[in-house]
Amino acid sequence: MRSFDISITLNISVRSRPWSPRRLVPGLRQLIAWCLLAAAGVFFALPVVWLLLETTRTQADAVDGSALGFGSLGQVHLNWDVLTQTAGELGTWVGNSALYSGSGALIAVALGIPAGYGLATFDFVGRRPLLIATMLAMLIPSNALVLPLALEAHALHLLTSPLAVILPYGLFPFGVYIAYLYFNTPRIHGLVAAARSDGCSEWQAFRYVALPLSVPAVAIVVVLDFIASWTNYFLPWAMYWSYDVTGRFPVALGIAEQLAAGTTGGGYPLRNLELQTAAPLSVEALLILVSCVPVVAVVVIAQRWIGSGRLQGVFV
Amino acid sequence: MTASAGVRSRSRAGYLFVGGYVALLVLVGIWPAVYAFDLAVTSFGGAFTGLANFVDTFRAGQLVPAFVHIAVFTAIWLTTLVVVVVGLCLVTHTLSRRLGAAFRFVCYLPAAFAGSASVLLWLFMLQPGPSPWDFVLRALGRQTLGDSLAGGNLPVAFALIAFWCGAGGWILVIHGALANIPNEVLEAAALDRAGPIKTALWIKVPLIKRWIVYMLIVTFAAGTQLFAEPQLVSEASKGMVDATWSPNTLATFLAFQHDNFNEAAAISVDLLVVAVVCAAALVFRTRLFSVD
Repeated sequence: MRSFDISITLNISVRSRPWSPRRLVPGLRQLIAWCLLAAAGVFFALPVVWLLLETTRTQADAVDGSALGFGSLGQVHLNWDVLTQTAGELGTWVGNSALYSGSGALIAVALGIPAGYGLATFDFVGRRPLLIATMLAMLIPSNALVLPLALEAHALHLLTSPLAVILPYGLFPFGVYIAYLYFNTPRIHGLVAAARSDGCSEWQAFRYVALPLSVPAVAIVVVLDFIASWTNYFLPWAMYWSYDVTGRFPVALGIAEQLAAGTTGGGYPLRNLELQTAAPLSVEALLILVSCVPVVAVVVIAQRWIGSGRLQGVFV
Repeated sequence: MTASAGVRSRSRAGYLFVGGYVALLVLVGIWPAVYAFDLAVTSFGGAFTGLANFVDTFRAGQLVPAFVHIAVFTAIWLTTLVVVVVGLCLVTHTLSRRLGAAFRFVCYLPAAFAGSASVLLWLFMLQPGPSPWDFVLRALGRQTLGDSLAGGNLPVAFALIAFWCGAGGWILVIHGALANIPNEVLEAAALDRAGPIKTALWIKVPLIKRWIVYMLIVTFAAGTQLFAEPQLVSEASKGMVDATWSPNTLATFLAFQHDNFNEAAAISVDLLVVAVVCAAALVFRTRLFSVD
């Protein structure tokens, strides 16, 4: 009985307030904000959702059914069989990508973390110019150096060698800068100074004091360098595509081959163009999905060790 | 909080720590740039020709259209990026932490598809019929994939792909900048009765201005380097989209189809100059990077 009374009172008090258009404004603003976010969410997510659903469908589903229908899980298996047949080198491509990006990230860490430490801990002639060169290098888009690198590789007879992409992937100045910022704090300076006065050599101070503290920096360098090199298209294209060494192709070039293989003649106006790919739509969708699984896996695994930094905004 | 110079020990041990990195920086950073410059100012036979290769590439009639193409593409991409990324970040900044993080995750996910995967995926997206955007494409009067790519639609399509893959990363950066705004500032704004829109436009945006400038310059530099999109679309369109659409595809066309390394090097030096000027502007003209 009592609660009933209260609800009546509330009702009356709400109704008795004078109505004004201004009171609608916060609600309207909220509504517009939610619509904007929903639209953006759909824009970013819909292609991925479509990709996931497409891999469960047959070619007939793709042509007749609605764009966002679910086929069957068994069809994923059948599409996988077609994929491994038509893109027979899929295993080679994934293996190559893993080799290039993995070795690149390894070199980036092995050289970049000590370099960042050296810049943060020691004062030596050329330190400032090196720091400036590092910042310039990290802000220059990686594509800018691809053709010069291809010309250099041509001169050194390194074209079509795995080193032609591994070494450039190993240069990651942004990682050096991240490590530099990480080590250039009063806390690390103090710990290193203490280790020295306890009799550690410079190497021991790095190896046993600074390095164990830099796990988040290492994880960020690995993730960012791995993603950048795994998704890189221009560099392997310049080194391998024109020379048609398909045995060296990473996944990114394998995907490009799906378009090239579908190419037949030409000559009619662009307006009539229909997409032709080497395999049916659902099989190509599976290939695209497979190509990005390692990137997602690396991010998810490394996330455990990343406490702060650029990736924090996503996961925290 | 940067350390003062006094805390660094003056020691040659520094060279041992940076040595490997410097060697690699020279081998795959500085050497190729110098070599490209050397090729750009010499002829096929190796004789010094000054600016002849630069002049020839501009006179040949393909480079100017290529630069116009990427100017249009970059203008569309930058405008969309600033309006949408900053707008979305300002809206999510008023959301709960969890909801905002989930939203940013969705936006960042497409970064996994960067490069050729995103181009192939968006060619499917732009083809009426199987595309989930079919209703949008029909509403715009597109009958074929060709309609989505013909004429002035091409730079829009490239900007769409670049935005889909790249916006998420920038949303993280701008969100990080917004998260660093001290609470006292926002509380003071609230006390002064600034509403959410006024706070966003007159308090938050000026405070993150330098990060917006950073995003603009880095994106501009990356935009001039466009390669994967025009190269793959040229491939997919059986050559009806020119293989020389952007300066980078033109340079590789000259290098690999015509074996004209000197003119190709001249174009990549043009682009490298743009990239270095942008990078230098960021290092020396903004206070984002401490050179201590």
